[in-house]
Amino acid sequence: MAILECSMLTKRFGSTTALDDVSLRIEPGHIVGLLGPNGSGKTTMLKLANGLLTPNSGEIRIAGMEPCRETRRIVSYLPDRPYLADWMNVRQLLDLFEDFYTDFDRPRALEMLEKLHISEEMRIREMSKGTREKAQLILVMSRRAKLYLLDEPIGGVDPATRDYILETIIRNYNPEASVVISTHLIADVEPVLDEVVFISNGRVFLHKTTDEIREESGKSVDQYFREVFRC
Amino acid sequence: MLGKLLKQEFRATGRIMLPVLGALIVLAFLASLSGSGLINGVTDVPVLRFLMGMIEFLFGIGVVAAGVVTVVIMISRFYRNLLQDEGYLMFTLPVSVHELVWSKLIVALVWFLVTGIVIFLVMGLLGLVLSRTNLVDLMAEFSSDWEEIWSQIVSEGLLASFRKFFLAGAVCTLLGTVCTCLHFYAAMAMGHMFNKHKILLSIVFFVLISIAFSLMTTSLNMAGFSQISENEFLYAESMALLFNTLSRMLWWLTLSELVQAAVLYLATVLCLKRGLNLA
Repeated sequence: MAILECSMLTKRFGSTTALDDVSLRIEPGHIVGLLGPNGSGKTTMLKLANGLLTPNSGEIRIAGMEPCRETRRIVSYLPDRPYLADWMNVRQLLDLFEDFYTDFDRPRALEMLEKLHISEEMRIREMSKGTREKAQLILVMSRRAKLYLLDEPIGGVDPATRDYILETIIRNYNPEASVVISTHLIADVEPVLDEVVFISNGRVFLHKTTDEIREESGKSVDQYFREVFRC
Repeated sequence: MLGKLLKQEFRATGRIMLPVLGALIVLAFLASLSGSGLINGVTDVPVLRFLMGMIEFLFGIGVVAAGVVTVVIMISRFYRNLLQDEGYLMFTLPVSVHELVWSKLIVALVWFLVTGIVIFLVMGLLGLVLSRTNLVDLMAEFSSDWEEIWSQIVSEGLLASFRKFFLAGAVCTLLGTVCTCLHFYAAMAMGHMFNKHKILLSIVFFVLISIAFSLMTTSLNMAGFSQISENEFLYAESMALLFNTLSRMLWWLTLSELVQAAVLYLATVLCLKRGLNLA
């Protein structure tokens, strides 16, 4: 069974069509790059997968279920924005995640926090933008979920931290789980990807393994992306 | 999971409400001291008398502020925690929309109740001090009055009527508070289904709901109150009958509040389930 499946999925915001008749199937055990220029529909797709938006038509299923309470138990989602209450400190957030997610691995989170020099007593409002993003990612990646949906996980951090984050994703990655990474920083994520989905103007127009792209085009995914989306 | 949500909600609101109520209690003590000082004329120094007056004034402001903060917390917790960026976390927790709404509602009700009790107590304290009443004398007086009232209640068979009246009053007040909270929740949930002008639309929905419900409750209450004749109310033959009539009126109000609460709750849940549209 596919861990994430969209069929003829359409989402409109007023007169703007954010996703247009998208069909897509992601199998368990893959790291998938959801790649596309700004405004192509990547964030909308991830929001729909989390039930934060309702589709106009078509359907989206997680492990065969429509987004619901059950799917939230197995999906670990990182939004593209600061979404944690700024008055909370890291310890309170660890408590919160431990309370609600049975798959939350606190020792793993503490290890990552120590590595990135983030104190448990630090409040979200006291953190820089980059530190905040790191803290959010640590919480999300410390779950033993079946599907990780990461929306721009490396957008706001420095290159050294980017490497650590990607390494973290790979290291903590359960072979039965899938990771969907939405980004436009393709060169950075390319080494960790198994598959890529190219999305533009709300339509998926390519879904291939990274090896297929390299073999067929003779280019890296980054070069191929730049060629396809040249302005 | 509702218990865990309540824990989080109390943690989020308590960090504001507890200092506010604590400050009000401190202000009440200061106001009592300065009030009794002013009455007893402990000082003729104008600056001190001015400061004492200021404390009284600040206490008045504090009472109003505590009430306002409670309302603002009730609104802002729903708005910020569910409809703004924090909603990305709340709506991806493995909890139902019902649990999310109940957690907000229960915690808001608890704070309304606690704030009400604190305001009642501090006002009472200040009232006692300013009226220069000795608390022990007052208690003794109250105790003897209460015995008299109680014996009258028992002898006239008023106990059952009183019980009915206070029960109806308590339920009516509780449901009224529930309706107020749900009125705000439903309006915000409706307004945030749209892509633009979410706050403006929330205000518009708030007004529209007010108009619709005032029309509905007026007709419902008229239907209910028409069963109670003027004579029953104005020329009641006994206290027991008067309180029974008042209880009936309160139950009619409660019924209309119950209908309103059910409609508003369903509207809130439905909008959050089917129309969630986080920016």
